[in-house]
Amino acid sequence: MPPPRLRAAKLSRSVQERRLFHGIELQIDPGETVALRGPSGTGKTLLLRLIAWLDPLADAELFLDGLPAAELGAPVWRSRVCLVAQDVPAHPGTPRDLMALVAGLRHQRGRAAKDPLALAEAWGLDPRAWDRPWSALSGGERQRIALALALSRRPAVLLLDEPTSALDPEATAAVERSLRDQTILWVTHDPTQAARVADRFVELHP
Amino acid sequence: MTELAEIGPWQLALATSLILLNGALSLWLRLGLTRKVLIASARTVVQLLLLGWILVPIFTFEQPWMVMGIGTLMIALAAREAVRRSARTYRGIHGAAFLALLIGCGGSALLGSAVIVGVDPWWDPRYLIPLLGMVLGNALTGLSLGIDRCLSVLDEQRPRVEALLSMGATWWEAARPVAAESVRMAMIPILNAMSAVGLVTIPGMMTGQLLGGTPPDQAARYQIVIMFMIAAAVALGSVLAVLISLRALFDGDHRLRHERIRRRDR
Repeated sequence: MPPPRLRAAKLSRSVQERRLFHGIELQIDPGETVALRGPSGTGKTLLLRLIAWLDPLADAELFLDGLPAAELGAPVWRSRVCLVAQDVPAHPGTPRDLMALVAGLRHQRGRAAKDPLALAEAWGLDPRAWDRPWSALSGGERQRIALALALSRRPAVLLLDEPTSALDPEATAAVERSLRDQTILWVTHDPTQAARVADRFVELHP
Repeated sequence: MTELAEIGPWQLALATSLILLNGALSLWLRLGLTRKVLIASARTVVQLLLLGWILVPIFTFEQPWMVMGIGTLMIALAAREAVRRSARTYRGIHGAAFLALLIGCGGSALLGSAVIVGVDPWWDPRYLIPLLGMVLGNALTGLSLGIDRCLSVLDEQRPRVEALLSMGATWWEAARPVAAESVRMAMIPILNAMSAVGLVTIPGMMTGQLLGGTPPDQAARYQIVIMFMIAAAVALGSVLAVLISLRALFDGDHRLRHERIRRRDR
């Protein structure tokens, strides 16, 4: 049997002595979408950050297709297991500048990529938005740009934190359609969205 | 050379009345600055008299170790001042500032004294110490601006840096835009000074030389050398300080260690 696409074990996190989650194990098979649910403050975002290796791992173990994260190194791991944050920050310049910057990263260069402009256009984003300064873009526009950039790099796993929280129902439906067949750990507050997109659920309790 | 008019105790006392004017204005307008004016004035008097007093044996005995000792002390004090001006700090910031000023300013002052002016011996305190002082005084402003910008961007725009890391950027790929922004910030004062010098301002060193009787064209040439030495020191020093700071705030797993940045309570 092939190894799962993503396997994470011993995921634990405390914030100021308060234990948020402890010893979580998680497996995601290729093409599977797992919805991560739970009330605010249970550490859903921190769980995503831990799997993205943006916070210290402590005892946590991470594997991609059976390969340990430590063997890949953090930048390669993150280029394959890609986190898209809920609030997309403003970068210097325009989204097109960021697109060029990302395409030129050492661990992204030369990798076959999709066209992010075409991806985002299918979600109702005017292609001219890519040439506006970030400060002139709405939350929904930034969200679609960040998601399109991540998806365009063909990551093995997407870690999504409320990726459609600023989108209207029409754009949300289009995004959900595009993400079918991707391997995703998807944080969502919306139970109906979780039911639509997820093959399985993981629930965090306070 | 014309004789330099001497400043005796009576003249110093007369100058002090200028500061009393400051204090009187503060009292009258209720600026709340009286205490600060007094402390700053007292520091000026004590520090400069002390400097003059310390420099006497160094100029008299002309020992290289004495020159190096006072030079190192000046760099350490400048590093402390540069760090004090930054609104944020981290463990190791003093070492970073010291190393950056040592290499940037020490290197620039040595080059100026030994190669450009061609002093013999190269450590002649009469040249090396004022040159180092001039370079340090200006470079520490640039350095503190550079460090301050670097830390504030990492602190306030953390999501921007982490968004790049999330796409697979190495720590340096994520930090490079921050480094560029910080060094640009550090260079602004010296670039402004270089544009205004001679038109709006007569810098301290040139003033000193003119008072000391140096012909104006020679004083101008010295000042040009000094300005370029400062520019080199700011560039090299701020690049070093920013790079060392960035390296200290990212870890071996290419993570931004945001918790290492501390805001200073003011």
